[in-house]
Amino acid sequence: MVTPDLVSEEDIAKLIIPNDLPGEPTLKAYIEAKVYDREGHVIRYRRQPMRSPTQWLLALMAIPLIGTYSSSSSATASSFLINVFGFPSQLTVYPGYAANVTWNFSIQLGSGTQAFSPTLSSLAAPIANGSGAGQLSYGSVTATYSGTTIYTYVTVINYSSTTINVTEIGLVATIYLQFQNSSNNYQTNTYTYLLTYDTFSPAITLPPGAIATFKVAISFSG
Amino acid sequence: MMVGKEVDDANIRMPEDAYDTGKDTPTFNAYLTVVVRDSEGKVIKVHRQRSHSPTANFIGLFLPISYFSTNNVSFTITNVTGGTCTYKPGLGGSPQDIIYPNSNVNYNTYIVTIQVGSGQQSNPYTATALAAPIANGSGAGQLVYQPVTPPSSITINGNTAYFYITQTYNNISGGTITITEVGIITEIQTINYTNSAHTNCGNILLWYDVLSSPISIPNGGSVTIYYTFVVNP
Repeated sequence: MVTPDLVSEEDIAKLIIPNDLPGEPTLKAYIEAKVYDREGHVIRYRRQPMRSPTQWLLALMAIPLIGTYSSSSSATASSFLINVFGFPSQLTVYPGYAANVTWNFSIQLGSGTQAFSPTLSSLAAPIANGSGAGQLSYGSVTATYSGTTIYTYVTVINYSSTTINVTEIGLVATIYLQFQNSSNNYQTNTYTYLLTYDTFSPAITLPPGAIATFKVAISFSG
Repeated sequence: MMVGKEVDDANIRMPEDAYDTGKDTPTFNAYLTVVVRDSEGKVIKVHRQRSHSPTANFIGLFLPISYFSTNNVSFTITNVTGGTCTYKPGLGGSPQDIIYPNSNVNYNTYIVTIQVGSGQQSNPYTATALAAPIANGSGAGQLVYQPVTPPSSITINGNTAYFYITQTYNNISGGTITITEVGIITEIQTINYTNSAHTNCGNILLWYDVLSSPISIPNGGSVTIYYTFVVNP
């Protein structure tokens, strides 16, 4: 195939995001919710495709892909980390110490809805952790993987006296920059990002005493 | 309340309203675009294909710390020369996480190259190196690698967001060079923040693709590769 020469970023953008290629997408993802009653019987089960990764999923993938430094010889962070995440160009540490970066996943549930945008940073109406009215008790988040699929799970319990409707769900990443600061104290700078956002329609209803497990599966096609 | 083995199987006493929508929706894609130019700089071929292939190394580095802490496990990263290192990130003074630029000690973790090769392998997930890397140089069978250009931001257009990594290679070898495989290689180094332990994992293959058809670069010509990662295309 011979094409006219490429003259602008616009031309490149048309080339590098083709919409005419056959085959499977690179990533498939789904959400699963199981609700149990007080006796442990499954009373609701829902599995649906995840439709809405945000720019933050891309951004997190970029950390291992492009690394944290701007080059092989510079002691400054890559411009991507500075521009996209808002990370510092360099962390000032106490003499003799270092700094590093790591991250964790969690699942946030909510009772609102909102239009999707790749820049979304939070759910419309997050359901708080607790046992009060409108709250759910969140258990520990666990993660596993098999091949190119990463699973994240959370279990919640409705200790309140009223039914709670879950209408939105997000996979959240918390990124930690760890270092010994200039005052010789351990410091962790935390940054939280919404990696995916999806809604449930109809809502996942949790009657009083119900326990529910939510799973987010992200599968690269490999 | 106990959630027992029986109820953990959703097929047991499945409620009436249970359903599985079945099909997944393509919300994330990666693409590989290859642009070949002749000796006069004119585009003579554009090759586009889906990219499918994070390696096991990428998956291990992408996992959250809860995977490592809950299961009390580590991940073995294998570099392009077959050397290995143990990756077990976490919070606190002991775990070695990916180093971040700082004012005291720096072991640079950075993207090294989009490497091109003339071989292929059937299982990209387990690949730790290209099958037959094309060396950087002007000798027979070699390409001159220009510096890789990592992204500096994410471009957003409506609900679509993307970034791309690109690199150009010049063929001054005296003959035609054919590439059949491509991979992203990054130098990974880990450290604990107390600076008492540091590991150089080396050059790590993180993403690998076999081209759906071989690409030939004429003598005097060049080839530019774009790896694009996009959500909601």
